[in-house]
Amino acid sequence: MAGVSYVKASRVYPGNPPVRAVDQLDLEVNDGEFLVLVGPSGSGKSTALRMLAGLEDVDEGAIHIGGNDVTHTPPKGRDIAMVFQSYALYPHMTVGENMGFALKLRRVPKETIKAKVAEAAKMLDLTPYLDRKPKALSGGQRQRVAMGRAIVREPAVFLMDEPLSNLDAKLRVETRANIAALQARLGTTTIYVTHDQVEAQTMGHRVAVLKDGLLQQCDTPRNLYERPANSFVAGFIGSPAMNLKTVALTSEGAVLDGLTVPLPRSVVAGHDAKTITFGVRPESLRLTGGDEVGMKLTVDLVEELGADAYVYGSVDIGGTAERFIVRTDGRTPPSIGSTVNVTLRDDNEVHLFHPESGARLETTKAPTA
Amino acid sequence: MVATTTGAAAEHRRPGPRGGTERRGRVRRFLDRYWYAYALVLPVVVVVGGLVILPLAQGVFFTFTNINEGNIANPVLGREADYDVVGLANYLNVLSGDPAYGSFWGVLLRTLVWSGICVAFHYGIGLGLALLLNRPMRFRTLYRILLILPWAVPAFVSAFAWRYLFNADYGLINWLLGSVGLPTPVWLGQSPVAMVAVIIVNVWLGVPFMMVALLGGLQSIPGDLYEAAEIDGATPWQRFTQITLPGLRPVSSTVILLGVIWTFNMFPVIYLITGQNPHTRILITYAFERFFSGATRDYAIASTYGVLILSVLLVFAGVYLRALRSQEAD
Ligand SMILES: Nc1ncnc2c1ncn2[C@@H]1O[C@H](COP(=O)(O)OP(=O)(O)OP(=O)(O)O)[C@@H](O)[C@H]1O
Ligand SMILES: [Mg+2]
Repeated sequence: MAGVSYVKASRVYPGNPPVRAVDQLDLEVNDGEFLVLVGPSGSGKSTALRMLAGLEDVDEGAIHIGGNDVTHTPPKGRDIAMVFQSYALYPHMTVGENMGFALKLRRVPKETIKAKVAEAAKMLDLTPYLDRKPKALSGGQRQRVAMGRAIVREPAVFLMDEPLSNLDAKLRVETRANIAALQARLGTTTIYVTHDQVEAQTMGHRVAVLKDGLLQQCDTPRNLYERPANSFVAGFIGSPAMNLKTVALTSEGAVLDGLTVPLPRSVVAGHDAKTITFGVRPESLRLTGGDEVGMKLTVDLVEELGADAYVYGSVDIGGTAERFIVRTDGRTPPSIGSTVNVTLRDDNEVHLFHPESGARLETTKAPTA
Repeated sequence: MVATTTGAAAEHRRPGPRGGTERRGRVRRFLDRYWYAYALVLPVVVVVGGLVILPLAQGVFFTFTNINEGNIANPVLGREADYDVVGLANYLNVLSGDPAYGSFWGVLLRTLVWSGICVAFHYGIGLGLALLLNRPMRFRTLYRILLILPWAVPAFVSAFAWRYLFNADYGLINWLLGSVGLPTPVWLGQSPVAMVAVIIVNVWLGVPFMMVALLGGLQSIPGDLYEAAEIDGATPWQRFTQITLPGLRPVSSTVILLGVIWTFNMFPVIYLITGQNPHTRILITYAFERFFSGATRDYAIASTYGVLILSVLLVFAGVYLRALRSQEAD
């Protein structure tokens, strides 16, 4: 068991200009924690993970595992186990041999290996397949073998790089829960890479959001959702995405079509620009009758999900059509092409960001503990 | 497409209730469905039959006769064929190991040693070079092309170049050996040294093929297997034995089989470098000597050698493939 920390760690690929795949990453992972690294494609998640595994050089800064500086330690000496996206199972070995390989290399007695492999296989429902070769397994079974190979090692840290991306949607949801449960049971520090923010939000104790090699925010899923540190995180976390618009700012507040949202004095006073980036989640908007003040939304598409429906439409703001998404009751959705009146559920459920830097501007609402 | 539609049409014609009719119906249906495929392979069957099967059958027939230059039909002299069928006499003579019939067992042993040594060096050096060339470095493509070059040069050109290199008095090799004070043997004389010389040349010729094949094999091993093994704690040597060698197995088994067959029958290198030399004689060169030289050109014994070579290789390939398959199964 061990905590992990990145200390201003960077990976710079030589080139012209050099690619800063991971840029001055500062991240502290506690012992036993499940941390998810999430971000769009090319944001440096895999690189960050591989730096920790020792498969990628650390060009600046340092990496610590369990308090030891391992920046220049080869993978072998780091006491980590990794689950690859491709699983990387040894094709010529049986499932049992795959899982016991690391122990065999460490000259653990055969009987002990057998017992540990059997135990892990039982945990992962792999017992009937121990004598098969990986090519005779389904995708889901291979995924479990890859997990098993990591578990048998009893490492200080698990590293997983998109381990679910080769599974179908249903199996992915199921395996997601299994991995989280397994981690809770073993209590091993785990760093998990994914590009899927739903996966991140449902699995992680904390989630670190990366973009272009830069850490945007690292917090609990709830805080990430409720208090995104900048407009990128606000747009990235949550599905469907938050409505984020840069709108005119007057002394009354932010101007959205017919609706002017009053903003906290603290924000308006401290902000001297004429515009502001205004964010509101689909569930913080509602359809209203014509007599209330609101925005006129022309409905383009309705996504019915049973209990809820998401209304996709456009609002004319300052002469340009802006897309908005509104969550509404699934039983009475508006028809496509109609125009509906939309207003905020609560003036406090808005997120405000600096129009240029994207940084969050604090609203009066107290942060959730 | 054509085959499918006709097949579907044939499906409607129910075969009759009785066995005979049914079988005829099945043959008919089979032809109906697959005539197109047979029409396509027919030309190949004819050509292969004409060029391979017929001469082979004729060769096998000669082994049971006493045919030679003196009794074969000769239209120029207006002579009829008057050779006789002699049963198994040729095989008995050859397999007795009689020097008059080429000391079969001794030559077979030399052929096996020659094949074994050559293929071992081909594989070993080819693998070494492939491993070197598989790592990132500058001018990698250039090196690869240079190393493939010996393969692209026609065998007789390299053979003559090597003969000059091996020349006892003026050759580069002896000049180099002499200049560092090593003995300078007569390489291509009537002594076992000649065998060393032909092995060197054949190794030089055969390495590029192995290298290219194994390089392809190396590139087909996924890189993340090495990373997984590294994390599992494997040393570079363990990664080589546990990942590289098993990953190369399908390629290795094929190229070793091919290599043995080719080397076993590697006529041009030996013949062009040393000519008729009892110290470098292998089965195929002896068959050639017997066929094209000697007082009477002995076609029957030459054919017997040919059939025996084929049999040895067939047995070898059969045993080898079976061993591979049983290894794969477990
Ligand atoms: N060998 C390399 N040389 C140069 N640049 C590289 C190299 N490997 C990766 N990069 C760059 O580093 C950046 C981060 O790559 P990385 O693989 O970490 O992304 P990722 O977040 O894992 O993306 P994905 O979700 O697509 O897997 C990318 O912009 C990529 O182009
Ligand atoms: Mg990646």
